[in-house]
Amino acid sequence: MYRLLGRGEIHAIHGAAMDVLERVGVVIQHDKALKTLEEAGATVDNKTRVAKIPEYLLQDTLQKSPRRHRMLARNPKYNFVIGDGGSVFTNAFGAHYTIDLETGERRLSTIKDLEEFTLLADYFPTVDYIKPNILPQDVPKTIWEQEMALAMFRSAEKHLSLVALTPVGWRDVIEMAKIYAGGEEEFIKNPAIVDTGFNNVPPLKYTKEIIDMILDCAKYGIPFDISTGALASASGPVTLAGTIVQGIAENHAIVVLTQLVGPGTPIMWGSCATILDQRFGTAAYGSPENGLIHAAFCQMAHYYGIPYYGAAGVIDSKVPDQQAAYENTINALLATVSGADVVHDGVYGIVEAGVTASYEMFAISNDICGAIKRIGKGMRVTPETLAVDLIELVGHEKNHLNTPEALKFTKKHLMEEQWQPWISNRTSRPEWEKQGSKDIAQVAREKVKEILSTHKIEPLPKGMEAAMRRIIQKRAKASS
Amino acid sequence: MTSSIFEELETAVIEGDSEKSEEAAKKALEAGTPPLEAITNGLAKGVKVVGDRFSKGEVFLVELIMAGDAMKAGMSVLLPVIKASKEEVETLGKVLLGTVQGDIHSIGKDIVATLLEAEGFEVINVGEDVASVTFVDKVKEHKPDVLGLSSLLTATMPMQQDVIEKLKAAGLKGKVKVIIGGAPTTQEWADEIEADGYAGDAVSAVDLVKRLTE
Repeated sequence: MYRLLGRGEIHAIHGAAMDVLERVGVVIQHDKALKTLEEAGATVDNKTRVAKIPEYLLQDTLQKSPRRHRMLARNPKYNFVIGDGGSVFTNAFGAHYTIDLETGERRLSTIKDLEEFTLLADYFPTVDYIKPNILPQDVPKTIWEQEMALAMFRSAEKHLSLVALTPVGWRDVIEMAKIYAGGEEEFIKNPAIVDTGFNNVPPLKYTKEIIDMILDCAKYGIPFDISTGALASASGPVTLAGTIVQGIAENHAIVVLTQLVGPGTPIMWGSCATILDQRFGTAAYGSPENGLIHAAFCQMAHYYGIPYYGAAGVIDSKVPDQQAAYENTINALLATVSGADVVHDGVYGIVEAGVTASYEMFAISNDICGAIKRIGKGMRVTPETLAVDLIELVGHEKNHLNTPEALKFTKKHLMEEQWQPWISNRTSRPEWEKQGSKDIAQVAREKVKEILSTHKIEPLPKGMEAAMRRIIQKRAKASS
Repeated sequence: MTSSIFEELETAVIEGDSEKSEEAAKKALEAGTPPLEAITNGLAKGVKVVGDRFSKGEVFLVELIMAGDAMKAGMSVLLPVIKASKEEVETLGKVLLGTVQGDIHSIGKDIVATLLEAEGFEVINVGEDVASVTFVDKVKEHKPDVLGLSSLLTATMPMQQDVIEKLKAAGLKGKVKVIIGGAPTTQEWADEIEADGYAGDAVSAVDLVKRLTE
């Protein structure tokens, strides 16, 4: 719907990015990966660990990177396709703190919070697949990713995106995912039952650990997103176009490496890039520039024929307030109308840019993203929806509430045409007052409590959790 | 004459003009201005002005960093003369900063370094991906008042603990105040690993260092 860049600008950005990829190169702190790249045609400096990648190598490997792929869920009704033209939404990633639902106080996040946010994400119709909303602080770091994976497996039927922080932890999670898929053979056939995501260290660097985990994904064909984390005016140029150029080079290095090692591995080509606020030295995610960055990256991803994954909708405000709502709205909306295949961080149950989880914000954002998804669907224009016959029938004297044919027509098309908000208030004032004159945060709190006590999911098959537990216990023992 | 050269030094720093700062420093020496005074009443004053403005959100980070660079440019002219005369630059204290092993993020730590310098601390920035033993060696070598450990990755947070354990083993715990920072770190984590302090952003890091060195 919205196209920020013209054709000439897309070509100029592509040319500049190829210049950076070929002449400046990307640091990859991983000997084996460097060797793979060198053998395929990249120029590698083993001392600086810079790989300079020629355009032909990129074009070759882009051919192997899927344009679309199906993501799988425990409950097949939640399967979906990334790259089919629509936008799928995820919830937020990674809060260390949580605003307590009962006391309203900000405290450290717990594994129970992770289970509850995952359960809510399972319930919220806007969330197409689920990210770990919480990084729980009451779990030993040695079994962190594993405990988080188990908490999420237990709490949802939708597709799950699991966290990969350390190569050891991620390998354990893959073993747990095999159990979740119904065995090793099943997992090898259908690795898209889970996915994960990675960031680089801008400018133009990747650590050994990240590459280790990416190679494990490539080995199995586990889908993942690779998202540049450049901050314009700090770890990337202040010019938005320059940051796009750098981000393309950063992301492409991983496309090349992954498709060389594991051809066909689904990659979501993404960005969590934004600007640095030069007044405070903070990353500003709720900024309008963030939306422009997504719009441009999205066009570039589609130019390369790969799905775009944008972390759009992140909130800088410290509380679920007016600022939070507008920040969430502008960038999730801009990413959607720009055609982002995945609006990650869209349904944003976090405030303070990834730091503090908020149950209220999650519910409010579910309404915001519901509205955005409605906008994304656009308008159906067909002979039937143009409704000339009906307009003629109703004429000048009647209306659509007192004509049987019109009532039938309305009933038929209502759900398709009109989005129904969940907690946004549209009643009359007397009705609103009768219901207690509540603001949206108050309603959100009550609704969340209700969902947490009523929404039930299918438990994991018998024995599955115990089998996963054994992996965790083994790791706990090995590292104590 | 003297007050105008001080002003010139101060203005050069406030404007973030390294060339002008160097020239003013040379001019100060030629005019016989004591170099220590040129720093205190000129360069340092300028950088303090910019630092204070930054803390209030009135100037941009780019201006703060350029002011810091301009101060260093002026200092590079004055320091050799100070050293030759065996005098010493007075600072609020010495701070050693680095990012822990396995983590190559630099920006947050570098902002803290710039702000500390603006406040009048001597800062030794040992860089990124620094091994725990290197931190211990550097502490032995430089004897800082405060050691700052940065970690932006959840996966490398345990290295902050590792450095503290190694400082303990070397009998250095308590001799240097250890502070931690970085996006995933918390006050609770600082308490758990027995760090002396935690700061969530660069401005509070400076307040923390001031408190610890008082």
